[in-house]
Amino acid sequence: MSDFFYSENFMEQLSARVELRGAVKASSRLKSRVYSALMRAEAASGALASLSKCRDAGRALCVWEKLVEIAPVGERAKSLNFCGVCHARVLGERFESPPIYWSGCPYVDFGKA
Amino acid sequence: MGTPERPAGQRGTGESPEAADAKLVAAILRRDRKATAEFVGRYADVVYAYIHSRLTPRADLVEDLVQDVFLAAWKGLAGFQGVSSLEAWLLGIARHKVEDHYRSRLSAPDPLDEVDPDSRHVTLDSTLDALIDTARLNEKAARTLAALPEAYRVALLWRYWEKVPAREMAERSGKTEKAVERLLYRAREQFRLKWAGMA
Repeated sequence: MSDFFYSENFMEQLSARVELRGAVKASSRLKSRVYSALMRAEAASGALASLSKCRDAGRALCVWEKLVEIAPVGERAKSLNFCGVCHARVLGERFESPPIYWSGCPYVDFGKA
Repeated sequence: MGTPERPAGQRGTGESPEAADAKLVAAILRRDRKATAEFVGRYADVVYAYIHSRLTPRADLVEDLVQDVFLAAWKGLAGFQGVSSLEAWLLGIARHKVEDHYRSRLSAPDPLDEVDPDSRHVTLDSTLDALIDTARLNEKAARTLAALPEAYRVALLWRYWEKVPAREMAERSGKTEKAVERLLYRAREQFRLKWAGMA
């Protein structure tokens, strides 16, 4: 059998036996980055669901979101992307174990997973 | 206020994966920021693992591609029918993104060297059978692929791991079928040399 067919056959056998997908996990930095990019895209395309709606759906709010949620402001103000101006986002995107500890923050949760 | 409903998409007892997927998608489409976070938290690992395996060792590209996959998924989420799982749907998008990368790499002019004719005596006789240990086999294959020039690696991954025929690779990359076959031949030869030289 020629070299050509020999190596073609080898590659076919090898690829059938080798599963290249490893047990690697995405870093919390990457998850933070992806989440931030999605939130930027969502916020750019219109208002987000208000924090009150998130809470009513059983979602945990972070300490800062809770403050905004009980503030005497309209629903529109509660629909902004607050993570965009939060230092937790900045830390989450840059550090694998960011020094942020409050609950209800996606950037904290990415670090725990 | 009554008891809050279970967060959309959160898998609870008795909830099927399909129902959980549908709830999560509905919550994201309602623009629930926390659902978007759950989407990333739940699926980033599987998307990352797939792209990492297909682009290794180009770690610099992996993260950008993962982000592209999620952005494309978010844009197309309204079209998610639930025919397959959300994970399978996301991996389908990831596969397209990887193929876009392969296509762009193979569309570039071919700068690769010819195979050294003296190296052709190197054979792989029985090496697969000798590597019974699957973990060792996987690790050696990954190392060998990583040691190849990018165009060779991309060609082999696209042809043998993504199972795309050479004719289709040619159509998508704008090369002739003969050029793709030639590239694959050289890539296999290089793979064989590196494989034989590795412990």
